[in-house]
Amino acid sequence: MAVQGDVMEAAGPYDRAKALSAFKLGDATFYWVTRLSAISVLLILGGIILSLIVGAWPAMREYGFSFLFTQRWAPSADPPVLGALGPIYGTLVTSVIAMLIAIPVGIGIAVFLTELCPQFLRRPIGIAVELLAGIPSIIYGMWGFFVLGPFLANTFQPFMIRIFEGVPVLGAIFAGPPSYLSLFNAALILAIMVLPFITAISVDVFKTVPPVLKEAAYGMGCTTWEVVKNVVIPYTRVGVIGGVMLALGRALGETMAVTFIIGNSFRISSSIFAPGTTISAAIASEFAESDGLHQSGLILLGLLLFVLTFFVLAGARLMLLRLEKKAGK
Amino acid sequence: MTELSISTTAATNAPHTPLPEAAPKVTARNLNFYYGEHHALKNINLALGTNRVTAFIGPSGCGKSTLLRIFNRMYDLYPGQRAVGQLMLDQTNILDPKLDLNLLRARVGMVFQKPTPFPMTIYENIAFGIRLYEKISKSEMDGRVEKALRGGALWNEVKDKLNASGLSLSGGQQQRLCIARTVAVRPEVILFDEPCSALDPISTAKVEELIQELSEDYTIAIVTHNMQQAARVSDKTAFMYLGELIEFDDTNKIFTSPSDRRTQDYITGRFG
Repeated sequence: MAVQGDVMEAAGPYDRAKALSAFKLGDATFYWVTRLSAISVLLILGGIILSLIVGAWPAMREYGFSFLFTQRWAPSADPPVLGALGPIYGTLVTSVIAMLIAIPVGIGIAVFLTELCPQFLRRPIGIAVELLAGIPSIIYGMWGFFVLGPFLANTFQPFMIRIFEGVPVLGAIFAGPPSYLSLFNAALILAIMVLPFITAISVDVFKTVPPVLKEAAYGMGCTTWEVVKNVVIPYTRVGVIGGVMLALGRALGETMAVTFIIGNSFRISSSIFAPGTTISAAIASEFAESDGLHQSGLILLGLLLFVLTFFVLAGARLMLLRLEKKAGK
Repeated sequence: MTELSISTTAATNAPHTPLPEAAPKVTARNLNFYYGEHHALKNINLALGTNRVTAFIGPSGCGKSTLLRIFNRMYDLYPGQRAVGQLMLDQTNILDPKLDLNLLRARVGMVFQKPTPFPMTIYENIAFGIRLYEKISKSEMDGRVEKALRGGALWNEVKDKLNASGLSLSGGQQQRLCIARTVAVRPEVILFDEPCSALDPISTAKVEELIQELSEDYTIAIVTHNMQQAARVSDKTAFMYLGELIEFDDTNKIFTSPSDRRTQDYITGRFG
């Protein structure tokens, strides 16, 4: 220290206080810049909610809560009848089916890539999954329309009907005339679209498991499946659920591909092979030609989607908290 | 057992009185190990005596941890690593490619350098391993968990919080939890890979004491950088250097009159 002091004196008087005050100014600027960035998120969010509410107000006043429970959607009737039950049902059903397919497959791919895959296959499969995320959604829509739709209508649905015909509930789920455009088609496309999210995030968090922890589990005589089930997934639970939620958020809001292949029918059918619609698909297909109460109703649909997504995320948080309690943290 | 209790008391201040030669439990003959091209272990010949503690000492990178990881085929998890030669656990050929590794690892347990509690409760950390091999009732399981935790000298500290996360324990407690977990599966051999290197002196003393007690029922191999520890806990000591087994003898002899020059240099601190 003494040596350093000498050097400083030799270089001329060093005003530590002045240097510090310059730092203080920088610190304050930095503090406010970051603070404003953070606050701007809240402002934007609040602004969006506010403008949605303002836009949706005429429809809210007109229909009240019956908007949620009415299936009929007849904007050109006099007076127009608007009900959101069909889009809400379609949104939930397609998202749930999509997640039921995408979660096991996505996590399965991640487990294979991190635990089982021979080294030389790791990169090709990883890149393929990433590419899946890069395909524009309209391409998925076209593919669903021209390839998946015909396959489902001509091959898959008759097969399911043959198996489940006459079975009480399941029979109704698969029944109905074949249609290229259906809830199930949209759900499958959604599943493929959200798969990369689940896989990419799961792979990343699986890699954070300390190797020695896995070795300890293998050292007890665990099989790979037991290690994954009891150590890897519990250890990375929060991250995996985060990935799933991100995927679910995307599935709930995905518009283009779904609009293409869901059929845009507001009628609720018990069959998943019947056409339907989702909130975002309904808005996308009608917004351009809407005005007055009709437009306000579509904005209200948008607000509903917002609220729905919010509840899904809140529910996920709650689930995480309860899981952590159960694990004894 | 009288001999054992003598050696336990002696362990705190002086090297062991040698025990009578024990029947070999694990026997290595001309054992070689490769990390890809790198020849990490060269012609290892030794035997771990049944219910004896064998310590492995040597400078970093000499291959002692590598040797330990052959005993339960842990290296199998990583491509490019292979062992050549003969390694027997009683009549079982450990290196047999058709060997069921899960069963081998049930017979040969391992405790790691860092404590590795699983992300679950203390109770589950123990019950988990037992459940892999046995289907037993809840009350029976409670008994087994308690016995294992007592075996790990941890019961009194955790009996009121069995449902707390294993991660909430201190480092020393976590390590004893891992030992209890290993013991719960009832292995025949327990491998300790520098079990105390992340622990404070008091926890270290507890774990050493535990190792002494465990040697009544288990065959134990321990890798350590702490030569006093090797002298305190082991019956036999193996000195390894650059992938070779330089000297393998009674702990007493290794630390008082080693026959190889390099062993002497190492234990007197001239290198390593």
